Amino acid sequence: MTPSTMAPDTGTRKPDTAHVRDIDKSSVREASSIELQGLHKRFGKTTIALDGVDLTIEAGEFFTLLGPSGCGKTTLLRILAGLEEPDAGRLKIGGRDITDTPPHKRSVNTVFQSYALFPHLSVRDNLAFGLRMRGMPLERRNAKVAEIAEFIQLGDLVERRVDQLSGGQRQRIALARALVCEPDVLLLDEPLSALDAGLRSQLQVELLRVQKRLGMTFIFVTHDQQEAMVMSDRIAVLDSGIIQQVGPPRDVYERPVNAFVARFMGHDNLYRITARGEGGRLSTELGELHCESPGAGELLLVRPETLDLLPGEQPGKNRLLATVGERLYRGSHAEYRLDIGGTSLQATVNNRGRHLPEVGERVTVAVAAEDLVTLGQ
Amino acid sequence: MAYSDVIPSLRSRALVSESRHLLFTVAPGAFWIFVFLVLPSAYLMGVAFMTTGPYGLPEMPLSVESFRRLAGFGFLGWSPGNLYTLLRSLWQTLVSTALVVVIAYPIAYYITTCREKWRPIMLLLVVVPSWTNQVIRTFGWMNLLAPGTPLANLAESVGLIDPNMGLYPSNFAVTLGLVYNFLPFMVLPLYAAFEKLDTAQVQAAQDLYASPVRAFWHAVFPQTLPGLLAGTVLVAIPAFGMYVIPELLGGGKGMMLGNLVANQFAGSANWPLGAAGAILMLIATFIGLFAMRRVGKRLGGGEEVVI
Amino acid sequence: MRKRNLQRGLSAFWWLTLAFLYLPLVVVVVFSFNATNSAAHFTGVSLRWYRRLLGNEEILSAFANSMILAITSSVIALVIGCLIGYGMYRHRHRKLGWLIVLIYLPIVLPDIVFGISEMTFFVQIHRLTGLLQPGLETMIIAHVTFQIPFVALIVYSRFVGLDPSLFEAAKDLYASPWQRALHFMLPTIKPALISAFFLSFTLSIDDFVISFFTAGPESATLPIYIWGAIRKGVSPEINAIATLMIGAVAIAAVLSLLFSYRRPTRSTANHRRGTEESEP
Repeated sequence: MTPSTMAPDTGTRKPDTAHVRDIDKSSVREASSIELQGLHKRFGKTTIALDGVDLTIEAGEFFTLLGPSGCGKTTLLRILAGLEEPDAGRLKIGGRDITDTPPHKRSVNTVFQSYALFPHLSVRDNLAFGLRMRGMPLERRNAKVAEIAEFIQLGDLVERRVDQLSGGQRQRIALARALVCEPDVLLLDEPLSALDAGLRSQLQVELLRVQKRLGMTFIFVTHDQQEAMVMSDRIAVLDSGIIQQVGPPRDVYERPVNAFVARFMGHDNLYRITARGEGGRLSTELGELHCESPGAGELLLVRPETLDLLPGEQPGKNRLLATVGERLYRGSHAEYRLDIGGTSLQATVNNRGRHLPEVGERVTVAVAAEDLVTLGQ
Repeated sequence: MAYSDVIPSLRSRALVSESRHLLFTVAPGAFWIFVFLVLPSAYLMGVAFMTTGPYGLPEMPLSVESFRRLAGFGFLGWSPGNLYTLLRSLWQTLVSTALVVVIAYPIAYYITTCREKWRPIMLLLVVVPSWTNQVIRTFGWMNLLAPGTPLANLAESVGLIDPNMGLYPSNFAVTLGLVYNFLPFMVLPLYAAFEKLDTAQVQAAQDLYASPVRAFWHAVFPQTLPGLLAGTVLVAIPAFGMYVIPELLGGGKGMMLGNLVANQFAGSANWPLGAAGAILMLIATFIGLFAMRRVGKRLGGGEEVVI
Repeated sequence: MRKRNLQRGLSAFWWLTLAFLYLPLVVVVVFSFNATNSAAHFTGVSLRWYRRLLGNEEILSAFANSMILAITSSVIALVIGCLIGYGMYRHRHRKLGWLIVLIYLPIVLPDIVFGISEMTFFVQIHRLTGLLQPGLETMIIAHVTFQIPFVALIVYSRFVGLDPSLFEAAKDLYASPWQRALHFMLPTIKPALISAFFLSFTLSIDDFVISFFTAGPESATLPIYIWGAIRKGVSPEINAIATLMIGAVAIAAVLSLLFSYRRPTRSTANHRRGTEESEP
């Protein structure tokens, strides 16, 4: 059973934002688009948390702020929540400027990293807290709490005390407590980081399902690029208070704009371009390679999973001769460290039951021109 | 836009409201303590440097006369009375603190070896007597040590006291009263130290062929030192300034610095002399606190020692 | 074998120490029921000393003074100390060394110095302005002064023990500043406030030295009355009042025990469960 207020209508209009996956446009509230203009924030005299952030997040998006610790992602989230004031810049939600609106007057709710459930209240009173503060009468409050409890499938957890809950249960209560207020935007501050791996992936799926059903704008903070790719419609990668790249997960992973983004997304095969020739011909530390659409950047990214390993020496265009340096057998695939004239290259080969080259073997590396990407420093 | 181009306008406003918040929450209490304790103490210190007037009240001009009197120089030349009082205070503090440690150490250890559910009750049993008023507790000892009581009779038969005399007033009674009064103050911090004890260290020591005594000395004792220091601060400082116990159990020959000071404001009024004694007490207090902090920091267990 | 002996020795020492701690109190209680006024021999049970108490107006007024003093000062200290405790917590990242010194001052100052400072100050203020005549008023001021630090530290440590994002969660869930105080902070620190009140109350009832020096002729409290009576000579009547006060403390002890046993089932249970479950 789906609560009437939260269930998406079965409308037929297509969403006009192409990167927002399988969402019913009718359930997306226009009030929930976000616009950030020139946000600056500094702590103390020297620590710069945000150094000019401009960003537009569309209604109904699952948007992830990704970056290492200290990159400014949490500060950005806290500014959205109203828990920090920006030193400069404006913040609009649904076209309305809320830069100076205190947190308790914003239609924005947060799922905190530590969950922040009130220890002096029962689960039920925790869920009802936001509604009570907004002065909703008791009867409607109870109805709403019952509705959300069913929606998140809390079952009999509602009757428990907060200190009787496990980590995963607390996480779901914290989510329900924020959702029950029906905010325009839900902020999630690394909500899964305290959970173990199994529970984590289970809750990732659950969270995603909830977001799609409600069509609510979710802003998710994480430092885990795998999690970001699984969850997001779009990802913003942050470093030193600056947004490095914004885009759908595939863009960010496959076409990183600079070395920082590439490394953060887990790429190690970055090579300096020493000279350029006709038709996308590039001279690199690895040797000569052809790139289908080379940009102006000085680095070349070779993704390990785009490489084919051919037995023996079979020279040709976009082919490199290599010696197997190391092999890590992982069952479904094997990871290789190859040696090409003193330069190291990593390759991932799917295990289709064919021959997997051994350490010391001479092999030929083949790569398609369209799989090569150039990027800046 | 680089950071320097941005004028942080909001921050200063936030700072003002934060400061106002600090003022509203902290100011009433800070003001109260300042007016009703800092100012009076400052006044008392001033009094010590004034001349004694006809009714013992302070008068101008300023002088160090009261400090000379405190050191024993009177109209009739030097007398050792005050010096004895001071030395007695130091001695009583030392002896009673040492005795308290000797009793509290095994007790605190014993509590930690008992079952967990009994420990709060055991601690409570140790602490409850100190919830009773100090005057009443001391009065209880007066009852116990009075002439004709079993304890006094026992002491008499052994020949410790003359017939028909009680065990009080005496210096022994004062020491007893101090130990009784301060025992819980030492048990609590020591218990906290024992409870946190890293037993792996003890096992490691035993594993490395340490005898029980050496295992204790190298693995247990250092870990309890912060608790021991905290307890020493809690016992020694108030013991040095004790008033009630020597007044009731000590009599004229058991007087301590606290009685000397108090008497200057009650019986034989001499405010400047009493104030000079109070300054002496304050100096001792702060030396004690400071020394413990230094030692505590060197041991690395600084926090517990700073009460 | 050796360990067993050590444990047995410690156990014996424990019971001896308990006897040492309770002997003076037991003597007071027992002799309060003595039929004669001998302090050395118990001659028979009687309630004559208690009956005599009831007729003694001085004692009744001392009791009333003690109560008024303890309750009034504890309430004032609770309000002021709670504010400081919260202020210290909220601004804990600032340099508040001066405040810490100020708060520790009443704790570390020897009672006697505390008492005479207040007395000389009050006397001089009274001489100059006519205000602050020694009496209940001055005693309340003095008691509040030594109670504030304890309340502040208890409240502060309760706040420090909380997850800081709770404060933000309350803001985030639409609570205005007043609602936060009323629906989040006060209920959360309620246990701390209760124990701070009882500690203040106990400190006030327990205090003799500071009361003694700040009291006026009409404002003797029970300890001051007992002190005066003792100085006149040991009488069984003192045993009777003392017994009543010991009884009050015993009741408080039992209550506090019940309270501390019930409390872990609420907020601290999670913290403690781990250690308790490991017990067979």
